[in-house]
Amino acid sequence: MTTDFFIHPAFLFFAGMVAVPLARGVWRQALVLLVPLMALATVVLLAPGLHGQVELHGLTLTFGRVDRLALVFANVFTLMAFIGAIYGLHLADPWQQSAAMGYVGSALGCVFAGDYLTLFLFWEGLMVFSAALVFLRRTKGAVAAGYRYMLVHVFGGLLLLGGILLQYHQAGSITFTAIDPAAAGPAQYLILAGFLLNAAVPPLHAWLPDAYGSATVVGSVFMCAYTTKTAVYALIRSFAGFEILIVLGVVMALYGVVYAVLENDARRLLSYHIISQVGYMVAGVGIGTELAINGACAHAFAHILYKGLLFMGVGSVLHVTGRSRFSELGGLWRYMPWTLVFTLVGGLSISAFPLFSGFVTKSMIISGAWEDHLQWAALGLTLASAGTFLHTGLKVPYFIWFWRERPAFAPPRREAPLNMLVAMALASYYCILIGIRPDTLYRLLPYAVDYQPYTPTHVMASLQILLFTMLGFFLLIKKLYPEPEIGLDLDWFYRRGGVAFTTFCRRVLRLVDEEVIRNLHQTLFLPLLRGLAGLAAWNDRRLVDGVVDGTAGAVLRFGETMRFFMQPGILSRYVARTLTVLAGIILLTLWIR
Amino acid sequence: MIKRLIARLRRHYHGVRVAFCCLLGLLILADLLVPRHHVYFIGDEIPGFWGLFGLLACMLIIVVSKWLGHVWLFRPEDYYERRGGKK
Repeated sequence: MTTDFFIHPAFLFFAGMVAVPLARGVWRQALVLLVPLMALATVVLLAPGLHGQVELHGLTLTFGRVDRLALVFANVFTLMAFIGAIYGLHLADPWQQSAAMGYVGSALGCVFAGDYLTLFLFWEGLMVFSAALVFLRRTKGAVAAGYRYMLVHVFGGLLLLGGILLQYHQAGSITFTAIDPAAAGPAQYLILAGFLLNAAVPPLHAWLPDAYGSATVVGSVFMCAYTTKTAVYALIRSFAGFEILIVLGVVMALYGVVYAVLENDARRLLSYHIISQVGYMVAGVGIGTELAINGACAHAFAHILYKGLLFMGVGSVLHVTGRSRFSELGGLWRYMPWTLVFTLVGGLSISAFPLFSGFVTKSMIISGAWEDHLQWAALGLTLASAGTFLHTGLKVPYFIWFWRERPAFAPPRREAPLNMLVAMALASYYCILIGIRPDTLYRLLPYAVDYQPYTPTHVMASLQILLFTMLGFFLLIKKLYPEPEIGLDLDWFYRRGGVAFTTFCRRVLRLVDEEVIRNLHQTLFLPLLRGLAGLAAWNDRRLVDGVVDGTAGAVLRFGETMRFFMQPGILSRYVARTLTVLAGIILLTLWIR
Repeated sequence: MIKRLIARLRRHYHGVRVAFCCLLGLLILADLLVPRHHVYFIGDEIPGFWGLFGLLACMLIIVVSKWLGHVWLFRPEDYYERRGGKK
């Protein structure tokens, strides 16, 4: 294939981002659907290689590095963009659709970036457009969450930029490529920290439930797909085989599960499960074998679809009922049965039930851990997968659709809008397709796959874990009844810290300003200034005035004296003086000759 | 369609429960017969190990998390909106 033909898929989305707010009605809906479809076609037609290279002050910026790894992520990103576009088709607010397009475009820009500077450019784009999706909910809480989200991500972006600049300074190269774990220094670890913040690795994770629980219904469907998975892509690209990632990944997987138990808000619960699921991917990157990297890619692919599906299901409930807290929901099965079915498909997929997508992807990572003799990691991840089913497969459907006989509020009169149901059906289709025909996904992966998920042992072990988890759920269900409380998380430090800082400013700094500075001003600075002013006045009066007045008086007196001698008013003196001068001139002339 | 199915399942709640328990029993029985090819871990060789693991994992997660919540992490929902931030 020739490498001449290259349209960056992100370009389509950025063009769409500009065009969408200008279009109206059906035209806008057509545009919103057409852009992801065209991008999907473009991604399918992309030829591997380096495209779109720009020379800038001696640096080569690569906008289109196309290889198998990039293509896996680009495929699922554009697919999810299409599903999300259908889901958001009913929106009267064009800015959400526009921001979502900018967001997807930025994610694709990151995926195809061949150097850190290009990556950073689109990385910041991700932050800006996703923050817009939070702000566009236009409630007080969402705006506050949006600001927190931006501040945290600006911090992460600065870590990344610092790392990039340091690396450029040391190595002279900004190529976005694999880093050798043995040769990594401060620069590389700064870049890693920037990536880990976007991947929501504890302790840099608290922004995720905060923002995703506050974003618009459609916004959180988009957000759950791109930011963390772009970070996973970046980690695979640069940090495969960093062993610290195995530990972090397992911690993440369990951390998300623990917080999901405490969570009362459905979207925040799902957010904690993003952290948990991304933990599997991060651990896979850390293991770094071909199987584990394939597993991380496959799991990211499947995760985007099923987590999007779950956010769509819970988002539909929020859209229809205006509620997302378990303590306020329950008993919806009569009113929103299709949403229940699709959410269940998502729940079974994320829980890795056989015949659903999670089963064929999550097991690749866990097998990677077993084969690398990392038994503690494999057991930790298996433990987390029991927790995943417990919450997303059981707690979410149970407390939204069952639990109460009837909803505690006036029941909704309709199902979710048709476009939402279609989007959920499409995502469900892909979740099941990947589950029953894993080859469709496996052939996209960066390395050749000879992994077989459907072995009797594996199916049996998974079924046992899942069904006995279900038994445990129903045994302990009383303990799980939703409590209208929030769990403290590490955002405490900046949320409470922010309050403490403003309190510090209001109390301490103002006190210092009012008492100490004002007193100092009155007792020390003002008298000092007055003294100085007095000195200046004395100087002006005595010295400057004296000199000027003296000069003027002298000139006056000299003029008087001169006038007395020069203009006496006696004619003979004038005649004598004139003759004297004339004689002088004559003598002078003669002498000169 | 779905509504009728769910309603029927709810009417026969007891039957569903018995069927579920039978399914669990069957799983353990079937585990005795499964050929063991890919054995990564000692647990893969003990029939019913993963069932027990799942049950214990589930209970452990619920109990530990709720305990953590009640002794330490739970705060009222308007915690961050309050100025004092007292529990």
